[in-house]
Amino acid sequence: MADSAAEARIDQALVVRARLGDDPRAFEQLVRRHQGMVRAQLRHMLHGDHAAADDLAQESFLLAWRKLDQFRGDARFSTWLYRIAYTCFLQACRKKSLPLDRDDDTTKLLPAPAHALDLQVDMERAMRRLSGPEQTVLLHCVQLGLSHEEAAYVLTMPLGTVKTHATRGKAKLKAWLAAWHDVDEEQTP
Amino acid sequence: MNQSQDEAIEALLREQFEGPVFDDGFSDRVVQQLPPRRHRAVWPLWAGVLAGAGASWLGLLSAPLLHAGWQEWISGKPSASAIILVSAIAGMSLLACWWTTMEAEDH
Repeated sequence: MADSAAEARIDQALVVRARLGDDPRAFEQLVRRHQGMVRAQLRHMLHGDHAAADDLAQESFLLAWRKLDQFRGDARFSTWLYRIAYTCFLQACRKKSLPLDRDDDTTKLLPAPAHALDLQVDMERAMRRLSGPEQTVLLHCVQLGLSHEEAAYVLTMPLGTVKTHATRGKAKLKAWLAAWHDVDEEQTP
Repeated sequence: MNQSQDEAIEALLREQFEGPVFDDGFSDRVVQQLPPRRHRAVWPLWAGVLAGAGASWLGLLSAPLLHAGWQEWISGKPSASAIILVSAIAGMSLLACWWTTMEAEDH
């Protein structure tokens, strides 16, 4: 928590330097500090399409540079960047008619892993069976480590909706991976 | 779902996440693409303020309201025109105070 606050203060100082001094080197440091997570966020949302994710990440950072005056410091700089990246992702989906969300009914038709060989593989398959909003909320809340409030800000969703998607997503994963839990219990003396 | 199952699912999700992407020259490519930032020009704001003030002054110069209100206020007669004049000044002052406070908070 203290580390997170210190990181936020460093980001804030770099933003002030970049904004007031028009200092591209300060912004370069911000890019270096956050590119890894923003690219990971976009790669995850684009289901591993690295080239498209990097294009969107570049677009997001250029947009952040142009809109730096609009960063008020209400949210952490990283959260603000995630929001810009998510907005770019949504715009790209609309332009290219990419599948933004998957219907629950169709995902239920996907075959469940009958003979699971590996928990990690099963986990990946289970994640893909979740609805789009559930995947997105779990990505932001659990994997990127945002609070529910921050995820609501990034995804422009009501807080209650974020919490609902997180709870439902985890409950579905638990149900689909229940066989692993049973195996663990059988193996435990 | 109990707490331990919740934590187990979260732990699996974190394990599945590959983490931050290695900077393979991405930052350099972004920095090379950065355009010079455009600053918002201040002169249109001040030109607008001056033009508005000038137009208001010219408009009110020929109207008796301003003169009559001022005269009646000085002579201590709170007539309708004097009250309108004072209310307008007070309203504009409050708006200016509110705007200044909001701008100060933002910076």
